[in-house]
Amino acid sequence: MMASSKLAVFTIVFSVACAVIYVISTELNLPLLTYHPVIGEVDFLWTPERRGPVMYWYGWMLASMLGALALAATATAVPESWVQRAILFGCLAAVAYLIFYTLALFIYDKATVELEFLKSRALSLGAALVAAAAISFFAPANWNQRLWPGWVCVVPIGALAVLAYYLTPYFTR
Amino acid sequence: MAFWTTLLIIHGLLAVALLGAITHQAVSVWMPVRSKAGNFVARFRAVPSASYVMAIIVLYVVTFVMGAWIYTQYRFTSRLALEQLRFFKTVGVFEMKEHVATIGMILLPAYWAFWRPPLSEEYAAARRNVTLLLALIVWTNFLVGHIANNARGFGS
Repeated sequence: MMASSKLAVFTIVFSVACAVIYVISTELNLPLLTYHPVIGEVDFLWTPERRGPVMYWYGWMLASMLGALALAATATAVPESWVQRAILFGCLAAVAYLIFYTLALFIYDKATVELEFLKSRALSLGAALVAAAAISFFAPANWNQRLWPGWVCVVPIGALAVLAYYLTPYFTR
Repeated sequence: MAFWTTLLIIHGLLAVALLGAITHQAVSVWMPVRSKAGNFVARFRAVPSASYVMAIIVLYVVTFVMGAWIYTQYRFTSRLALEQLRFFKTVGVFEMKEHVATIGMILLPAYWAFWRPPLSEEYAAARRNVTLLLALIVWTNFLVGHIANNARGFGS
């Protein structure tokens, strides 16, 4: 079986990692720089607005691109099957977290007794990591041999879904 | 204001060119013509899709950079007006446009790698899918940009 080229691994991992880091830096507001458009000044990392509105978008992009470059470079130096396993695990964990947390909130809403612990994100995250690890472990061997190029579409579409979800307050006011 | 309006028009024109190129490529790769091209639609589908790659990448990057530049002006002029007018849905779709544009930018290295000659059969499906996704991204952003500009464009 032929391994994927280093260029293919690099570009696939770059797209996947960049989409994931972009979502994280956007939702946790972790820009690498802050731009103040009214006064035309740039600050390093996050800073509050000084005069007029502030823009973090450039900082989010820079953070995600630099992070993705580092991860993509690392991915070309490790066995391809490890990269495939890591991405599969990450995607399974994300989907499992979504299912578990939605389920936990649904049960919390319907329960006749107070089940406060179900609102804990850490609990759903822990359960998601265990589920993802179990599925990854028992996944057929051929799932983890080659890096699947389809991640280039799947992960960015997932990232867009998360970003759209966080913008729903604009549409429900 | 004339400067920013000019930039916006150039941004829009570049977006039209990009829209044409990516639509041509997406159609030709998803609905290739098997026989000799006859009518307009068949000729539209019969273009050599690989020849569009560099043009699409360059147009996307240039359009993106111009949009990112204009965005600085939008942030403290048009957007403030939209918020004061309580056009929250318009602001929301524009926020989504910035994310969608970024995701499109993120796809470009892989898009380029999948389309590198000689075209690899191994990446045929990924090539088709990433081209379609990029086409959807360009169409979405083109329409959203139009809507936002119609709501409160430069100079209004």
